[in-house]
Amino acid sequence: MLAVPLLAACEGPLSTLTPAGPAAVEIARLWWAMLIGSGLITLLVMAMLWRALRRQSQGRPRLAAERRWIFGWGLGFSLAVLTVLLGFGIWIGERMIARDDDTPLVEAHAGQWAWEFVQPGPGGQPVTTQGVLYVPAGRPFDVAITSSDVIHSFWVPRLGGKMDAIPGHRNVHRLMAAAPGTYEGLCAEFCGLGHSFMNFEVVAYDPAGPLPDFADAEEGRE
Amino acid sequence: MTWLARALAGPMLWGALFSAVYALHGAGCNLGWTQVSLGPVDLHRGAMWAVWAAGLAVHVLLVVTMPAGQGRARRIIVAGSLIGLVASAFTLFPVIATSTCF
Amino acid sequence: MTKGPRIDTRNDAIDTDAGIAANPPRRALPLHRELDEVWRDLPGWRGFFTSVNHGTIGKRFMATAFVFFAIGGVLAMMIRAQLATRDGAFLDTELYNQIFTMHGSIMMFLFAIPLLEGLALWLLPKILGARDMAYPRLSALGYFCYLFGGIVIVLSLLFGVAPNGGWFMYVPLTSKTYTPGINADVWLLGVTFVEISAMAAAIEITVTILRCRAAHMPLTRMPLMGWYLLGTAVMMLVGFPPLILGSILLEVERAFDWPFFDVARGGSPLLWQHLFWLFGHPEVYIIFLPAAGALSTIIPILSRTTILGYGALVAAVIGLVFLSFGLWVHHMFTVGIPHMALSFFSAASALVAVPTAVQIFAWIGTMWEGRVQFRLPMLYIIGFFATFVMGGLTGVMLAMVPFNWQAHDTHFVVAHLHYVLVGGFVFPMLAAIAYWMPLICGRWRVRGLGEAAFWLIFIGFHGTFFIMHLTGLLGMRRRIAVYPENAEFEWLNLVSSGFGMIQAAGFALFAFDVIMQWMFGRRSWRNPWQAPTLEWAMPLPAPSYNFASLPGPRQPDAGALLPLARGEGLLAGAPRGWRETLVVEPGSGRPQHIAVLATNTALPVATAGAIGSFFAMMLAGLYWLAPLGIVATLVVVWRWGAIMGTDRDHPLVEVAPGLSLPLHWQVRQTLGLTGTMVLLVADATLYGSLLFGVGFLTVVAPGWPAPESGIGTWWMLLPALAALALMAAGVVAARLAETRRTRAGGRLWTRLGLACSALALALLGVLGWGLDDPTRHARDALRGAVLGFAVVHGVIAVMLALRADVDARQGRIGADRRGAVPAWQLLQTFWLGTSAASVAVVAAQEVLA
Repeated sequence: MLAVPLLAACEGPLSTLTPAGPAAVEIARLWWAMLIGSGLITLLVMAMLWRALRRQSQGRPRLAAERRWIFGWGLGFSLAVLTVLLGFGIWIGERMIARDDDTPLVEAHAGQWAWEFVQPGPGGQPVTTQGVLYVPAGRPFDVAITSSDVIHSFWVPRLGGKMDAIPGHRNVHRLMAAAPGTYEGLCAEFCGLGHSFMNFEVVAYDPAGPLPDFADAEEGRE
Repeated sequence: MTWLARALAGPMLWGALFSAVYALHGAGCNLGWTQVSLGPVDLHRGAMWAVWAAGLAVHVLLVVTMPAGQGRARRIIVAGSLIGLVASAFTLFPVIATSTCF
Repeated sequence: MTKGPRIDTRNDAIDTDAGIAANPPRRALPLHRELDEVWRDLPGWRGFFTSVNHGTIGKRFMATAFVFFAIGGVLAMMIRAQLATRDGAFLDTELYNQIFTMHGSIMMFLFAIPLLEGLALWLLPKILGARDMAYPRLSALGYFCYLFGGIVIVLSLLFGVAPNGGWFMYVPLTSKTYTPGINADVWLLGVTFVEISAMAAAIEITVTILRCRAAHMPLTRMPLMGWYLLGTAVMMLVGFPPLILGSILLEVERAFDWPFFDVARGGSPLLWQHLFWLFGHPEVYIIFLPAAGALSTIIPILSRTTILGYGALVAAVIGLVFLSFGLWVHHMFTVGIPHMALSFFSAASALVAVPTAVQIFAWIGTMWEGRVQFRLPMLYIIGFFATFVMGGLTGVMLAMVPFNWQAHDTHFVVAHLHYVLVGGFVFPMLAAIAYWMPLICGRWRVRGLGEAAFWLIFIGFHGTFFIMHLTGLLGMRRRIAVYPENAEFEWLNLVSSGFGMIQAAGFALFAFDVIMQWMFGRRSWRNPWQAPTLEWAMPLPAPSYNFASLPGPRQPDAGALLPLARGEGLLAGAPRGWRETLVVEPGSGRPQHIAVLATNTALPVATAGAIGSFFAMMLAGLYWLAPLGIVATLVVVWRWGAIMGTDRDHPLVEVAPGLSLPLHWQVRQTLGLTGTMVLLVADATLYGSLLFGVGFLTVVAPGWPAPESGIGTWWMLLPALAALALMAAGVVAARLAETRRTRAGGRLWTRLGLACSALALALLGVLGWGLDDPTRHARDALRGAVLGFAVVHGVIAVMLALRADVDARQGRIGADRRGAVPAWQLLQTFWLGTSAASVAVVAAQEVLA
């Protein structure tokens, strides 16, 4: 009963918890798993603490206590949990990163405080747009991220993680929108006065249908 | 005080090994070592494997040559040696299989 | 009051067979008067400027830190007011940027670090059984650097020119191009000025723990707080130099256009991030360790038992100290570093949770095995557990690379870091203050206020930050001033803001409680917690000299209060009218000699003023006047050395029947020499960070290879090699100045060494004249920086050579007395070593180019 309003509270145009692409889905899944695990560990530790506060000890042999608390819980339990979690974390990360294959490439160029994109348009010709990135839905794409002034960060929360735009460097980031639609994006790294407003949109279009019009974002959309 | 130096040898070695492998990783990606074939692996991964394995061997040496005896100082030496070994094994195991320069 | 029921201390017993006889008992009151006469501060305002006593300085550090905490807290409330609604119109964006930058910077650099320094300065000599820290004047110097730097940083906010680039000051946003005003300079210069106090404290804490313990207290038997603070101090020695180097490089780039971080000329903004986080992550553990030390001290006492797993906790400290230097890249998971490297740091970030878990379970186990008493400090300890465990778990989440890619730079991270810092530092520190207040002010608290403050803070904190995790996962970024399109953030932020105010009220009540206790509390009886540790083996409030006689193997714990006060311990009273404390061998704690410490002096405040004048002129952009500040500093520092030697031999001093020890002027391994070695560890880290910068930019930065070099000719090599040869000759001369000090003509060597060093320094000037224009490319700028490092150390070496020479001429060198010669040897050797390495690096660049 409680689950419905709780899940509704997780929704939003920028929510990492309403994922719309495989990377975001996997991360959200990782999050829910970690949340459950962490919740259980917190309850366990609090229960131990509660019991420790209430107990009137009879002075048992210290060596056994040391073995149980330090080696059992401190080393054994924590190392086991962390090893499993780290294995999953690295495995998920491995499948998510951009590689040197034939995935189509678009470019995202950041500057104070706007985004410019270059993507394949009609006939595969590159088209430059302001504030809107057009990509085909259902296919992975790589974003080559650059900056002309300070550090920014490219983030479309519902599609996946973020990647910084660093002057002098070119970072490649792989994303995919599972279904056609419009997804909100923003600059995640503090970049000065206009940081709060440095937003953009990703329009995922149906690759089987007609191409979109590659229009720029409307002035004053923010 | 020599016992403290002995206890810190393991963690120190971890520090050196971690820095060395991280530096090799950064240098290799920027200097194109992944293009150089070295039998079943490329030069980049081969170099990191070699350094990691050599470091782990020294760690094992530190663990097996621990002084015998009793008392807190010895227990701290044992702990230090094991911390070093576990840290080097745990933090650098990604050299085995994760993708190097992507 | 006689000693209360004793806690079983068998596990921590100190060897009582060391064979030090007790001094004959005397009447306590005359002894007290004799000591207080020597140790107390000057009365009135003169005391403020001249006190060097660790008790005074420590309390002053803590009080000042809480004033800055209040200022940072007011800024936090302004942030919460701004974010309470989506179109927050409370602050304009520029002011908002200044306020969140200042909130972070103040809490880190002007609250957390100084508070732990203050606690360490105040507590360490008491808990280890000494009369003062190893370098009382350095404590005072650190305090004034902190005070002056902190005032400048806070004043910048009033003038509207406060730093506005976020507390980690990422370039290029903070470079001259994008921050043309002095906002960034305030941060770089102000924080570096304040960090002098951190370096001073780190050196002092290290040396005090190693050498100023009670007689025959071996390292393996010292109170756990000693291990925790030793770990903290070592981390500060190695952790702060990268930040200091980064700040110097960025300030030089802003002031003189040397392009260390400018991609167009071979620099890289990522170098700043590496240097900053190389400091920034260890910093979290630097803050956590003293708090954990307080927990390891207080928990067993309030559980009426001894700590579970002393050795395991020491091992955990060692593990944390090392591992915390292998985590810094987890702040940089989104900068485009390849996945394998991220995985190393992800694994290290996960692994660091293990020593933390060991501590948590050791503490719970200790409580489990004992009988917990619900006193006020225990309430804060419960608050610590409830908060820090969650912060640690979200930390493990953030260590997972894919999740970090989503959560990085959102309010999830804001929530996490507040859970860790408030949970892992503020709650334990509040427990520590509640616990040690009777020793600080000699009074017992007013009932009820403390509990009310705790509940307000606890409820306010969790109400503010628990749901902030969700705010972040819904996509709210850090550091935005408004969120007009995201109505879904609004209720979350409103809740956070509301509870934030409750939390603020809680802290205000805490401050009120402390003031009430100080002023109106009833007198506390001695050792109110019935603790075994030595800081309770003294009357309340703690006297200026701590112990009328110093604890030895016969006085291992707080039960020895009366024998110590009657002078039965070591080195009773102050019969020579000097401030004396015992110096021991670092490992075993065997007494070695007696250190005569500095008394009240205005030299520290004058020195801080001289250093401050340099920073002030740099801040004002008066770069040509800034060297005057350096000259002023050198002049004042010269006077520090003037009172450090003696021109006659003193007889041995009987510290206990049958045990006579020399004064520190007549031994080689003085506190000063140990401190010089510790300083050089930090210095070597600074140099290592500089070499890291050279390697990093050469391999990673765009804009390389550098343009044609103009120095690859033989005539530049010649002065370089000649300078190295002269430095080496200086090392030999410094060596001979010691070994031949009693022979005829022994003074010749100090003079010769001085000449060699001065000539080498002059040759470095020649090299500087031949360098390529440092504004041309990062390679040339780095060469300038490397040369600058050599020049600074040359000046120090020449100063020490001069000091040694004056010592020789004024008769401060004799059969047992060595003057400044041993310290000069160390510095001269360091100068030679780093300069040779620099020449090798530049030569390698030239050959490989």
